[in-house]
Amino acid sequence: MCFPSTTADVAFAVTTANRFAIPFVARGSGTGLAGGATPLDGALVIVTTRMNQILEIDADARRAWVEPGVLNLDLTRAVSHLGLHYAPDPSSQQACTIGGNVGTNAGGPHCLAAGVTSAHVLAVEVVLPDGTVEILGGLAPDAPGLDLRGTFVGSEGTMGIATRVCVRLMPDPPEIRTMLADFTAIEDAAAAVSAIIAAGIVPAALEMMDAQATAAVEDFVHAGLPRDADAVLLVEVGGLHGGVTHDASAIDAICRDHGARTVRIAADATERALLWKARKSAFGAVARIAPDYYLHDAVVPRTKLVQVIRQVYEISARYELIAMNVFHAGDGNLHPLLVFDGRTPGIWERVHAAGDEILRACIDAGGVLSGEHGIGLEKRDAMPLFFSADDLDVQARLRDAFDPDGLANPDKILPRGSRCGELGAIPDGAWV
Amino acid sequence: MKLHLDDAELVACVGCGLCLPHCPTYRVTGEEIASPRGRIAAMRAIVDERAPLNASFVAAMDACIQCRACEAACPSGVQFGHLMEDTRAALAPQRSRRRRAVEWVGYRALLPNRRVLGFATRATAIGQRLRLVPKRFGLPPLPLRAPETLTADAAPDAYLFTGCVMDAWQRDTHRAALRVMRATNARVGLPDAGADCCGALHVHAGRYDDAVRLAGRVISAFPGDAPIVVDSAGCGAALLDYGRLLDTEAARQFSARVVDFSTWLVSRQLTLTPSDTVVVVQDPCHLRHVQHAHEPVAAGLRAGYDVRTTADDGLCCGAGGAYSAFQPELSEAVRARKVAAIRAAAGGVATFVVASANPGCAMHLAAAGLDVRHPAELLEARLGND
Repeated sequence: MCFPSTTADVAFAVTTANRFAIPFVARGSGTGLAGGATPLDGALVIVTTRMNQILEIDADARRAWVEPGVLNLDLTRAVSHLGLHYAPDPSSQQACTIGGNVGTNAGGPHCLAAGVTSAHVLAVEVVLPDGTVEILGGLAPDAPGLDLRGTFVGSEGTMGIATRVCVRLMPDPPEIRTMLADFTAIEDAAAAVSAIIAAGIVPAALEMMDAQATAAVEDFVHAGLPRDADAVLLVEVGGLHGGVTHDASAIDAICRDHGARTVRIAADATERALLWKARKSAFGAVARIAPDYYLHDAVVPRTKLVQVIRQVYEISARYELIAMNVFHAGDGNLHPLLVFDGRTPGIWERVHAAGDEILRACIDAGGVLSGEHGIGLEKRDAMPLFFSADDLDVQARLRDAFDPDGLANPDKILPRGSRCGELGAIPDGAWV
Repeated sequence: MKLHLDDAELVACVGCGLCLPHCPTYRVTGEEIASPRGRIAAMRAIVDERAPLNASFVAAMDACIQCRACEAACPSGVQFGHLMEDTRAALAPQRSRRRRAVEWVGYRALLPNRRVLGFATRATAIGQRLRLVPKRFGLPPLPLRAPETLTADAAPDAYLFTGCVMDAWQRDTHRAALRVMRATNARVGLPDAGADCCGALHVHAGRYDDAVRLAGRVISAFPGDAPIVVDSAGCGAALLDYGRLLDTEAARQFSARVVDFSTWLVSRQLTLTPSDTVVVVQDPCHLRHVQHAHEPVAAGLRAGYDVRTTADDGLCCGAGGAYSAFQPELSEAVRARKVAAIRAAAGGVATFVVASANPGCAMHLAAAGLDVRHPAELLEARLGND
């Protein structure tokens, strides 16, 4: 393990790893949900937490150069006096690093309107897997040439390590309205989501929590969430006064049409912060139900939300597991959590079996494996459920172009056997 | 040797990491083992016998300031303070002979005996004047003479808890608190003999037997049912935990009477003369993260001062009771961060005062060159005439 402070330190660590032919893995705050930063085979862990300086803020150009260990929320706080913020806001935003966000191409509630990390990274200084330092992308909105920056964002440390990141800063909306709608049936809430999007409204955020999640977080935040609701929707709209008022009243009407009992509007910034704290604490509050959870990150078409959610509950009930749903409803990014106590004999087999079935249901509904958490170690072997052998081979060759020696976070993202002609385990039921 | 920890409390950590930014030692080191999540993982490894209980485990546990900011940040409500106290209790017999001797003097001889502490204070004060006491101990200049006795009212509406070190070193703060309380037309009582020390430091060090004995003495020193007002955040947090520590009905009833000084004032009438002096409020961890009673401090001072608050979510100052003496390097690194946050909150004004409701924090921050006062002293200075 090493704790570099500069780009040169990282380059030295990578060069040294090359010299001894040992694999290396970058790690930020360790909040990842797919095991991307888990070291395998005695890998050198390059921890970026001490590279935590905001190097330069250009308020006029609305961009900043930051080191990878800067915490996501610290960045927003550092620019808030300028009326700016960094848009991608994962639930772990108070703890996770910008470097980790780049690695996983992280999302967050406000990515519905603002787009995910890739849309907010203009350029990245990278220590490539051979130890050389390059800048990918550029300060222009659309850098010329191949978009290597776009390739790097989301590569989970398999194409090198980010050592400086130039991020886009967004202006704070002049007005924000945050609403909490509560429903007695989760299907109604899901239908309301589809209806809001179908009405042509793009809220800043559109989140759903089911009854289990709502009760668990309410125990922590005491935000007055309805404990008897089957699901709540957290909807936020931002912009100019007229637009906000129009969208808010339209959303209010749509929710009520779909059976919402109440639509609560946050009265001030404090109440809004409390509602968001509730939403963003959901995963962490799981231990109030049981000490372990297994989480998926599939994205399904919004029109299939009702059907897939029903299947998630049906599958987990069949395996006698508790399912909890907290997710970015607006973009159909499900986060079904199977909550359990790992000390129960035989429970892991049930959890894995149920998890696989849920994933298959999502993919059958036209969904994808992961919306924002990355593939890492944990979803690696599910890749063939979604990608053909040719797809995997192309990805493997792109990766090899960056890392011919295979030392940069090996055995992550792509399962063994991805390269054409390479032998490896093929999971049961894979499309081969 | 084995580590006995509450399994339910231990597995309640799901590893989400939301505690990390709130942990002062993680913030200054960036190391997982210096974070609550890393410490819990280490405890688990010891309990499950996957790792040896060696010097590096002990060092990792000792590096924790026990500020308990992680508890306030934890969505799953992990009782980190209890886990750390239980771990320290298990480690206590393993300490070096020298460390045990120092601890015996501190925890058994000095803190719980008012007269011994008074004598030691005088002796140290003389030593300081003769430059025999090394600066690295971080002690403030101690009073040479025994401070004037405080006077109690009969049939009190409320008691003021006085405690050990604070009473010996900072009795003027108690005097200010009494004046402010009386300015609200309250009759204020003082504890009967025996309430010499609340036992907070003993609990933090895992010395439960000592703490239980002290708690029993404290409880019997406050007859009746009048509220017990505490002007030291650390003591207040300890007194509020007596119900759990002793697990008796009497202890629970006692804890229910305990209230922080500024919180008690919320329901009282107090007139202050306004001033434009800038006051930056420092939230002691055991007021903010444990008692969740930090907001009344700033609110109470607003009538008399230009009050500013720090933007660091109440990150610890690094004092941590005896921590600053045992871990000077980390303690100073944490303090440097806090001082920067305080200066940022002051917003560039040349002179400002820091309000701290905990004597340990006050001494630690004063040693960094800040002008630190207790909220009671600040209120007393602005008491109105009408």
